[in-house]
Amino acid sequence: MSASTGRARSWAARLHLPTLAALLVVLGAWAVLSWRYGAYVLPSPLAVVAGLGEIVRTGEVWTHTGASLYRILVGFGAAVALALAMGLAAFLSRLARGVVHDALAVLNSTSVFVWIVISIIWFGLSNWAPIFTTLMITLPVVASNIVEGVENVDRRLLEMGDVYRLSGHQKFAAIVVPSTLPYLVAGMKIGFGLALKVSVVAEIFGVTSGIGYIMNYSREILATQMVFVWALVMILVMMLVDKLVFDAVSRRLARWR
Amino acid sequence: MKLLVAGVGKDYLIPVIDSVSFHAEAGEFVCLLGPNGCGKTTLLRIVGGLEPATRGAVLLDDQPVVAGDAHTRRVGVVFQEDRLLPWMTLEQNVALVLRPLGLPAADRRAVARRHLRLAGLAGFEDYHPGRVSGGMRQRAAIARALAIEPDVLLMDEPFGALDAQNRRIMQNEVRRIWQETGRTILFVTHSIEEAVAVGTVLVMLSARPSRVRALIRNDVRAARAALIEDLNTMIMEEVERQQGGASA
Repeated sequence: MSASTGRARSWAARLHLPTLAALLVVLGAWAVLSWRYGAYVLPSPLAVVAGLGEIVRTGEVWTHTGASLYRILVGFGAAVALALAMGLAAFLSRLARGVVHDALAVLNSTSVFVWIVISIIWFGLSNWAPIFTTLMITLPVVASNIVEGVENVDRRLLEMGDVYRLSGHQKFAAIVVPSTLPYLVAGMKIGFGLALKVSVVAEIFGVTSGIGYIMNYSREILATQMVFVWALVMILVMMLVDKLVFDAVSRRLARWR
Repeated sequence: MKLLVAGVGKDYLIPVIDSVSFHAEAGEFVCLLGPNGCGKTTLLRIVGGLEPATRGAVLLDDQPVVAGDAHTRRVGVVFQEDRLLPWMTLEQNVALVLRPLGLPAADRRAVARRHLRLAGLAGFEDYHPGRVSGGMRQRAAIARALAIEPDVLLMDEPFGALDAQNRRIMQNEVRRIWQETGRTILFVTHSIEEAVAVGTVLVMLSARPSRVRALIRNDVRAARAALIEDLNTMIMEEVERQQGGASA
């Protein structure tokens, strides 16, 4: 009997039943507050659902999500490539490791807004402004993780490689890369979340597509429900990428554990 | 391969090894004994070329061992921990160390499987280290060391982490493998019973800074009990000296 209640509990947990119950309470409160304060301040849940249906039907959702994802992929992709180069430098030279550490400390302390302003000055009102901002904000996150991974490679395994006369390339491929991969994936997971949040902010300035642009535009034309709709789209994109990409990769990496 | 340790000494902040000399003919099973902290592991690392000696020299078949030098002799090392790569299967772990020998992939697989079978791991080739017991991991590490057909096999308390039963099994296995392959083995242990059970030459080191306290040939079966007794007395004296020295 305890087994059957245990199974019931695990089914309830898998379907997120407690979360769904909490969501119902929040939706109820939302509906009441929306009715009390009016659609301009807080549109009703139904208006948001209707808005989502609308942009899916017109295809507008793909245009703006696509534009945002394109900028994220270019900016974040460049950040990952640069971070890999920094990790490799840190692995190959003690000197480079010190420089990389200091550079990352500076980048980590720089505000998003600094990069937004600078990128508008440098790249004007173009695609490159949000791309550059995304690059500069996600680079330190991904690179810090990779460098930490490189530093945490088990010295005893490297010594084993020396004992058996593995070449530098063989040690790198067999020992360094596999032990750094989990750090890279963790860094990319955090970095991608940050990229989505940051690039959307950067899109408020100067571009005419993307989730950030359309949210700000909806606010200007007093279509508050569309602000909520696009926020929902952003959340869905984030959760989907997390589940479909990062969870799958993490599971694959952990197969030997 | 003939092993000659000639006046080897090592200083860290304090002198750890004063001067140790002994030699072993090809095919000997040499056991290094001594109180904890007397430099047994350090001496083994010097012989393996993992660390330079402060004084003296190690010769393998009259060729000096130079730390960090890419010499051509094959030295297999079994560490206190298994040091297997957790993301590779047991077979891949063994096959990996065959790559520098220039064997084609198919041969690497075959050699790896043969040595895993020799170590009693047939059927476990495709398991990852995390999925097998500690004793099996250490066997895989031994299989890896033997797969390169080493001229000298260095073993640093390889069974320290095993329970008494597995220890006994592994001692017999190593002894059997040694008899079958005729390799020269240098084996560090703190267990006198283990040394007497497996070694042909027992080197008892003194307290730090260490010298050779006694060098004993171990081939007369009848005298074993007395030998264990003698060695126990010796090691207790050395432990007392080392602890007395430390507190003074």
